[in-house]
Amino acid sequence: MTTYIIRRILLLVPTLFGITLLTFLLIRLSPGNAALLKGGGGEGGGRAMTAEVREQMIKLYGLDKPPLVAYADWVGRSLSLDLGESIVDHQAVTKKIAERLPLTISLAGSALVLSYLIAIPLGIAAALRRGKIVDRTISFVVFVLYSIPSFAAALFLILLVAGGDYLNLLPMYGADSLNAPEMSPLAWLWDRILHMILPVVCLTYASLASISRYARVSMLEALGQDFVRTARAKGLPERLVIFRHALRNALIPIITIFALELPALIGGAVIIESIFSLPGMGQLMFQSLDSKDEPVIMGITVLAAIVTLLSYLAADILYVVVDPRISYE
Amino acid sequence: MNAVAGSNEIYQESYAHRIWRHFEADAFARNGLRVVMALFIIAALAPFLANSHAILRIGDGRVTFPIFPSLEAIEWRFLLYVPLAGIVYLLRSRFSQRPGLSFSLLIGVIVLIEITLALTHPVNDPTNDRDRPASFKLMPFIPYSPIESTPDSFSPPSWKHLCGTDSTGRDIAARMLHGARTSLSIGFIAQSIALLVGVTLGGLAGYYRGWFDIGVSRFIEIMDCFPPLLLILVAISLFDSQNNMFYIMAVIGLTSWTGLARLVRGEFLRLSSQPFPQAARALGASDFRVIVRHLLPNALGPILVSATFGVASAILIESSLSFLGFGMQAPTPSWGDILSDARRYIDFAWWLAFFPGLAILITIMSYNFVGEGLRDAVDPRLKVK
Repeated sequence: MTTYIIRRILLLVPTLFGITLLTFLLIRLSPGNAALLKGGGGEGGGRAMTAEVREQMIKLYGLDKPPLVAYADWVGRSLSLDLGESIVDHQAVTKKIAERLPLTISLAGSALVLSYLIAIPLGIAAALRRGKIVDRTISFVVFVLYSIPSFAAALFLILLVAGGDYLNLLPMYGADSLNAPEMSPLAWLWDRILHMILPVVCLTYASLASISRYARVSMLEALGQDFVRTARAKGLPERLVIFRHALRNALIPIITIFALELPALIGGAVIIESIFSLPGMGQLMFQSLDSKDEPVIMGITVLAAIVTLLSYLAADILYVVVDPRISYE
Repeated sequence: MNAVAGSNEIYQESYAHRIWRHFEADAFARNGLRVVMALFIIAALAPFLANSHAILRIGDGRVTFPIFPSLEAIEWRFLLYVPLAGIVYLLRSRFSQRPGLSFSLLIGVIVLIEITLALTHPVNDPTNDRDRPASFKLMPFIPYSPIESTPDSFSPPSWKHLCGTDSTGRDIAARMLHGARTSLSIGFIAQSIALLVGVTLGGLAGYYRGWFDIGVSRFIEIMDCFPPLLLILVAISLFDSQNNMFYIMAVIGLTSWTGLARLVRGEFLRLSSQPFPQAARALGASDFRVIVRHLLPNALGPILVSATFGVASAILIESSLSFLGFGMQAPTPSWGDILSDARRYIDFAWWLAFFPGLAILITIMSYNFVGEGLRDAVDPRLKVK
């Protein structure tokens, strides 16, 4: 077990190099750079800047170095957790990301937890009544949900419940109300929750759909196993058979697929944050893409990829931990 | 029919036939396929359904068909390729009899169409026959062009504008019909690129194994670590390629081949250890022949399933990109772009969000139904229904 985990962690290193190198080359090979954009030399129309100052900037950020040398520099600095500073406002990238991270994590995290809480009962209900009207209805609704683009759903929800022509129950944009700084902590929390309801709902329903499909298949498989028949044969009440014997075994694959949901959730959060004007990582990403803020783009992309990579690893290890039958020795 | 004849018939049934029979038995899948085909036909006929040019006009002492000279290259492309696909489908049995000749003929026709279209200039003809007097004119069902502004902006759905108009008075119904072309072609071509890259890399990795396999597998692992939309956003925005349809297709295609490559690699690993490719090799078949004639046809079912779901996700990605302002943008009609317009006026203009949202939902759902149906047909053991 320990050897397996150590081997897996060592294998992360080349993948990490690949991720960072790919992102770096992508940014470097693209035409134009931040100094040009900021200096008004491009079509971005920034402040006018003399050629001299622009040259200095290019030198300062290493934009004149060959890509591989600049990449080696970046890796060297990153090892000491220094991701450089933003070209636009000279703040440290780590600081900029740290400011935005909590919101995105709370958004994606609550969506993940919520979708599990709803999806597993749905999947079990469908599996227990296989082929019946309940199963068909759940499967169909879940399928439709799965096909609705999250941004279209977000627009409809805003239209219906957030100050459109219909109900005006929830705030439309932002993470806090304008007067948030003067609120008491409890009022602030309530205000924040109200602002997060719609974004979380939009992010939840899509992953809910795929998790409940997994849950259904996994439960069906567990119900077909010999030990379930044995449990029934020895006269256990159906409730115990389902919850103690079948469900526990069905949960193993369901829990480990959180790793597969995570990248989709991060990608989805980018869109949802942009629709609801939430000051999270997604918004930071768009701002830095607009200004070609290389260090920030690099930081966010690499961070997202690392989170994904670690969650894959966690899922694999968890899989072994929760199911003693599987062994990688 | 006696039992022997019956079993004989089943025995003779080809793999493709069996898949088709299972597929057709599934009502959702069957209707999903119908909707997808209808969408392609609508996209091809869009200029005849929604146009400010008359189909037939009698006036000034002449009989003219103003619609034809007004067609742009991309409209011709759809108008010619969709029937071409239909012809290939109808002649599929002849096609398989002489594959070499048929393929060269097909490629010849495509090259001919593309060269002719490249030689014609962009038309960009803003005339509108709606208000031009004539003794007789036959207008399309929706007499507005997708990029044409009219004085009545933000008009809600009415008989005059079936799906309403946007901020500059463009007819949403016309934009929706023409926007189908953007979504369908980007979905289809992006997935074709992914198919080409994924099948080639996955196939070679699974067939030759060794270092190439290790390299490809590592690369797939790296690509899979990027959240789906993130890499595409970085690539598109950094190369300033918003609004360039071919670049968007390429980026979506080049970032979504990993699932297919994994699948093909696995299938090839499994298949190449079976006796039949070994027999083919023993008979002196080249690697290329073993891969193309023996392994690939046997892996085709799962590939097709994955590609169908892939088209759905490519359409979703395209509309997300347009929605975020990174994809196709106005005046080019695209569903995602109408939705992104809707975002600004969501307080009152519900029709801007409703119709394109519904169109995207129906398209993606149909493709997903086709994919589900195909999956059940390819491997009935997996059937969940």
